[in-house]
Amino acid sequence: MSRRTRVITRTFALHWARALPRARFGFAPRATRRAAFARATRLALEDLGPAFIKLGQVASVRPDLVPPEYVFEFEQLQDRVPPLPAERIAAVIRHELGRPLFELFDDFETEPIAAASIAQVHRARLAREVRPVIGDVMPAGTPVAIKVVRPGAAQVIAADLAEARRLLSRLDRFGLSRRIDAPALLEEFAASLASELDLRNEGRVSDRFAHDFRDDRCVMTPRIAWSHTSRSVLTMEYVEGWRLTEIDDAARAGVDAFHLALHGATVFMKQVLVLGRYHADLHPANLFVTPDSRICYLDFGIVGTTEREERINIAQVLAATVYGDADRALCYSAKLGLEVPEDKQAQVRRRVGELMGRTLNVPGKAADVKGFATGFLSVMADARVPIPAGYGLLVKALVTVEGVARAIYPDIDITRAAKPFATRLIAQQMMRPDRIADRLPAALRAALRELVS
Amino acid sequence: MAEDQFMRFLAAWALVHETADEGWKAAVVRGAEQETGSMEAGPEAFVDGLSAMIAEEKERLKAALASGEVEAPGSKADVGSQLDDLLFEVRELRGRLESMQTTLDAVLAEDEDHGVK
Repeated sequence: MSRRTRVITRTFALHWARALPRARFGFAPRATRRAAFARATRLALEDLGPAFIKLGQVASVRPDLVPPEYVFEFEQLQDRVPPLPAERIAAVIRHELGRPLFELFDDFETEPIAAASIAQVHRARLAREVRPVIGDVMPAGTPVAIKVVRPGAAQVIAADLAEARRLLSRLDRFGLSRRIDAPALLEEFAASLASELDLRNEGRVSDRFAHDFRDDRCVMTPRIAWSHTSRSVLTMEYVEGWRLTEIDDAARAGVDAFHLALHGATVFMKQVLVLGRYHADLHPANLFVTPDSRICYLDFGIVGTTEREERINIAQVLAATVYGDADRALCYSAKLGLEVPEDKQAQVRRRVGELMGRTLNVPGKAADVKGFATGFLSVMADARVPIPAGYGLLVKALVTVEGVARAIYPDIDITRAAKPFATRLIAQQMMRPDRIADRLPAALRAALRELVS
Repeated sequence: MAEDQFMRFLAAWALVHETADEGWKAAVVRGAEQETGSMEAGPEAFVDGLSAMIAEEKERLKAALASGEVEAPGSKADVGSQLDDLLFEVRELRGRLESMQTTLDAVLAEDEDHGVK
C-alpha cells in the first residue's frame, strides 16, 4: 500500500468514524444516516485535495449513479487552494500566448481574484483593442479576467486519480461501493477533466450562450478575447457585479431581485426545452448580478444537451409535475428512459403522487423542488429503477436552478415560471404542422363517427 | 327536403360555433380573474387559465399584425434570423482562427528562443 493510499484510507476512515454518532451508530433513520455519511465523505474529499474535489463535483451532477443525499452534499464542495505565485502564472501566459505579459496586458494584478484546483484567475487590462465574437469591440484598457490553468494540474490530478482507481477497485471487491458505479464515474471524471483543462471549450460555450440569448436584455456572459486565449489561458471581459451571497447589496442598489430570480428560472427552461443545451454546473459562484439588473453567467464547465424529441417529453414531464399529475409525469418519464417495472408501477405512482402533494402542491406554501427531487430519486432507488444519465442531470439542474433563484429571492416559487412556460411549449408542440398532419386523420375519423352516430 | 336538411346542418353548425364562442369568452373572463397559482385548482380552472393565456397571446398577435411585425417564412425577418446565425458561425470561426494564430505564434516564438530555424 503506497503512502498516498494510506493517507486516503485514513482520511475517509477518520471522517466516517466521526459521522457515526450523528448516524446514531447506524440506528438513525435512513435519511439521517445517509446525510451524516454524505457530509463525512464531502469533508474527506475536501481534505484530500484537487483530484478528489473534482471527483466529488462530477459525482454531484450524476444522481443516476450517486444517492441523492450525496449529490446535494457534494454540491457544497469548496474548491479553494492556496494561489500560485503570480510569476508562475505570468510564465504560463508568456509560454501560451507567445509574448511578454506587458505587451498583452496592462495593470496585471499579482493578487488572484480566484484560485481553484485547476485554474487561477487574475485581473488585468487589455493593452490593445480586441474584437470579440459577440458584442461590441473591447477597446484598449478594458478590464479583463485571465483564467490560467495551473502548471502541472493535469499531472497531479491524473496521479491521484490512479490512486483513487486502485482504491475503489479494492472497495468494489468487498462490495462496499455497490450503490456507486465507480468505474463509470471515473471514466466520466477523466472526460470532464480533459474538457475542463482546455479552456477554449468554455469560451466557445460562453459565446454560444451569448448568441442564444442575444435578444434577452436581462442575461449576459463576459465577452471572450480570442486573440488572448489558448488551451491554457482564457481571457474574458471582467464583469462588475454582486455575487449571489451579496444580493442584499444589489437590492439596496435598486436591482429587482424577484424579477431576476423568476427570469433566471425561465432562462434555464428556455435552455433545456427550446435551445437543447444548458448550463449544467450552475451554482451561486458561477453567477453575478450586474448593476444594470442583469444576470451574468460564468464558467460553462459542464454542459447538458437535449434532443428535440426529448425536449417535448421533458416539457410534458415538467408540466405534469408542476400541476401535480403523477400518472402523466411517469408516462412521459418512461419515454425518457425511466422505466418502472409493471409490478411496481402502482406503488411508484402512489408514492410519487403523495410526494407531489407534500412538496409541490401545498396550499399557501412555495413549491419545494429540491424536496420533491430528493424524494423522487429515493422512490426510484427503493424500487430499483435505474435513472438514465440525462434524466438525472436534468433533475439535479432543476434543483440547482431553484437553489440559485432562492439565493436571489428567498421566497421565490420557481413553478410560477415553469407552469406558463411548459404550458405554452406544449401548446406550441400541439400546433406543429407535422404533429397535426400526424393526428388529423384520426381526429377526422373520430369527428365523422360522432356525426354519423 | 335535402336542402332543408343541409340548412339544418348549417344552422346546427352555426349554433355550435356560437355556443363555443360564448363558452370561450366566458372562460377567458374567468381565467383573467384568476389569481396566480389558481390554475392547478382542477381541469376547469386550468382550461380557464389557458384560455386567458391564449387570449393574451391573441392580443399580442393582433398588435403585431397591425404593426406589420409578423412576416411569413422566407420573409425579411426570417432571413434576418438565418443571417444572424450564419454571422455568428463566421465570427466564431474567426475567434477560433485568432486563438490558433496566437498558439502558432507562441510555438514559433519558443522555437526562436531555443534557436530552432
